Amino acid sequence: MSWRARTVWDRVRAGAPAEASARVPSRGLRRLLRAGEVVLFLAPFAAFWLLFRLGPVLYGVGISLYRWDPLGDVQFVGVSNYLRLAADRRFWNALRNTLAFAALTVPGILALGVGLALTLFTYRGRPATRWVEAAFFFPYLLNVSVVGLVWRWLLDPDFGAVLLALRSLGLRPPVFLNEPAWALPSIAFATAWWLAGYRMVIFRAALEDIPEEIFDAAKVDGATGWRLLRSVLLPLLKPAALFALVLTGISGFIVFGQVLIMTAGGPGRASEVLALYLYRFGFEYLEMGQAAAVGVVIFALILSLTLLSFRWLGYGSAG
Amino acid sequence: MEVGVSRREFLRMAVGAALSACAGFGRPAWAQKRPVVLDFYTLFHSGDAAAMEMIVRKFNAEHRDVQINLLQGQWAEYYAQLFAAVGAGNAPHIGICHTSRVMDVYRALTPLEESRAGNLLEMARIRGSEYTRSVWDAGVYQGKRYLVPLDSHMWGLWYNKDLFRQAGLDPDRPPETREEFERACEAIRSRTGRMAFHPCEDALPRKVRRAWEILFWGQGGELLTPDGRRAAFNDERGLRALDYLVALSRRGWHQPGTDGFKLFAAGQVGMLLAGNWYLPTAKGSGVNFGFHYVPKFFDRPVTWGDSHNLVIPRQRPERTSNEVLVEAIRTIKWINENSHLWGIHGGHIPAYLPAQRSRELLESDSWRLALRKFSEMANRGWVHYPVIHPKAPQIHAAIEPAVQEAYNLRMSPREALARAEAEVNRVLAS
Repeated sequence: MSWRARTVWDRVRAGAPAEASARVPSRGLRRLLRAGEVVLFLAPFAAFWLLFRLGPVLYGVGISLYRWDPLGDVQFVGVSNYLRLAADRRFWNALRNTLAFAALTVPGILALGVGLALTLFTYRGRPATRWVEAAFFFPYLLNVSVVGLVWRWLLDPDFGAVLLALRSLGLRPPVFLNEPAWALPSIAFATAWWLAGYRMVIFRAALEDIPEEIFDAAKVDGATGWRLLRSVLLPLLKPAALFALVLTGISGFIVFGQVLIMTAGGPGRASEVLALYLYRFGFEYLEMGQAAAVGVVIFALILSLTLLSFRWLGYGSAG
Repeated sequence: MEVGVSRREFLRMAVGAALSACAGFGRPAWAQKRPVVLDFYTLFHSGDAAAMEMIVRKFNAEHRDVQINLLQGQWAEYYAQLFAAVGAGNAPHIGICHTSRVMDVYRALTPLEESRAGNLLEMARIRGSEYTRSVWDAGVYQGKRYLVPLDSHMWGLWYNKDLFRQAGLDPDRPPETREEFERACEAIRSRTGRMAFHPCEDALPRKVRRAWEILFWGQGGELLTPDGRRAAFNDERGLRALDYLVALSRRGWHQPGTDGFKLFAAGQVGMLLAGNWYLPTAKGSGVNFGFHYVPKFFDRPVTWGDSHNLVIPRQRPERTSNEVLVEAIRTIKWINENSHLWGIHGGHIPAYLPAQRSRELLESDSWRLALRKFSEMANRGWVHYPVIHPKAPQIHAAIEPAVQEAYNLRMSPREALARAEAEVNRVLAS
């Protein structure tokens, strides 16, 4: 060691004990500073969340306890709005339709998404796959209004391309949007066509993340085809499935735009869903309190089903 | 008719422009009087919106001290937004209100004869004698006037003259009685193979209800008891009306669930019940069409109708001065004086009689093709308004699904009316 370096080293070593003792903060203080740092970073986001998410939710719950009039004639009625809902056959019809719609769209969209993703993954090396993937994804880029109008036109009883095609094949198709039994399935089909592409991308990304070694190991063990799918791929897709399930479940329960545009809740009330029921009471009948109560019910439904999804699928992938 | 601008008018405009320019130079910028801006929110869309935009553009071009800021939107949310705006203290200065909605919207409106600025109607010289009587009379609620009528709109019978000719019918003598109507239906069906009749525009639930109401009101029925507390339509008159509506399909003259707007424009249906707003579409379709009164199906001829009215929503004193209120009512008067344009371009029947009788309107294609007969129905008192009740939207919503299901041949008329009655009574009781 050179003389210069040695001199510096000696100086540091000589002073270290005393300085170290004075400079090191206590463990409690260090922890407190750390917590403050965390709070400091989270504060802006927490403020926005409280202001624009939690605040409106609580405000909506509050409105549901009143006979609410925007002109100021506000009257506290407690749970009266909820009791009116319970006694309203129209509400239960809307709830049943909403559950039916979710039962049709959630499995349908997820199955379609997984199926498309697996197909594309199987042929991932081929050039045409990119174009097929883009084509399947394209509907997701459309606005709900466009989707509703397009499918309303396609299913038009007089001029719709779908009915004209079916009739030209010699079939006698139902008038889809004006048949009680077919109205909701028709909207569910249009919704699946619209949203499946995005779920496909989610699952496709999840499949790409699976290490190649796992496939090699599975092949060594003799797992192919259905066995490979059921024992290896699907368990590994659980996180993506959870995300897609929550996303699709929420879409199913708050469905509104395509119903309003395609059938307006008809024929009769065969396709009136909770969100449309809420819209009618809030913006057509000017009964904001009851509309807010419906909103609370929808919120509770989505929250409980989301929690059930987490419990059922867990937070992480198997193994 | 004189075309272009006369020499005298040109000189007057030139001198006026020069004087305006001189006046501008003679005063400092800060002393220039800013125009009063009136916010005018409507619920019009497509053709109606275009027509009103034309009218407002004319107003703004003709006035310097007052300008209209026009905002137009969908009718479904209009009243909720109006309430919210009034509640928040930023209501538009001029709005639109259907006559049928006055009973639940009045709380958001200014009573025109007893505003804080005084009797606004007197200030603008608005007199009831200058309006279609039935329309004017309907603008009062609880003894106070909130509405200044703009138009009548209603349904009538559109028919295809070519199909009439093919069916061996006189294209200039459309049916006026039920017997004539049924004879025409059978002739069209059997000799042209087309749909004979479409009773309800595009067959939306509220349109089906209106078709049934026309048949029901024609027998003297009313939806509610006079005190507005009970449903009053589940009787032999209501049943007869719905039976007749259903029979149209059973006799092969109509197919439920189809869009009469499109079919008529495509020349696929002989007769269509539709509103006056169909006129621009009919004119643009290329179909050789005629128009006539609603046939007298039962005891008396009746048609569904409503009116758009100009209103002044409630204003906060700190935001809107009394002078602005006066300007608003004068602007409403001006719109009425120019509502012949609303008729010519929007297809509506002006409620303001001088506009209804203006030469410009009477000589227009719109008047000749359809508006004259619409106007006659209005002046003869054939127009029946929707039920006027604070819960009218919910009453309609209670009736529509059941009536639609009967119309779609999936529920018996008797059961449909029983269901509708039960639900209406539940709405009225809540």
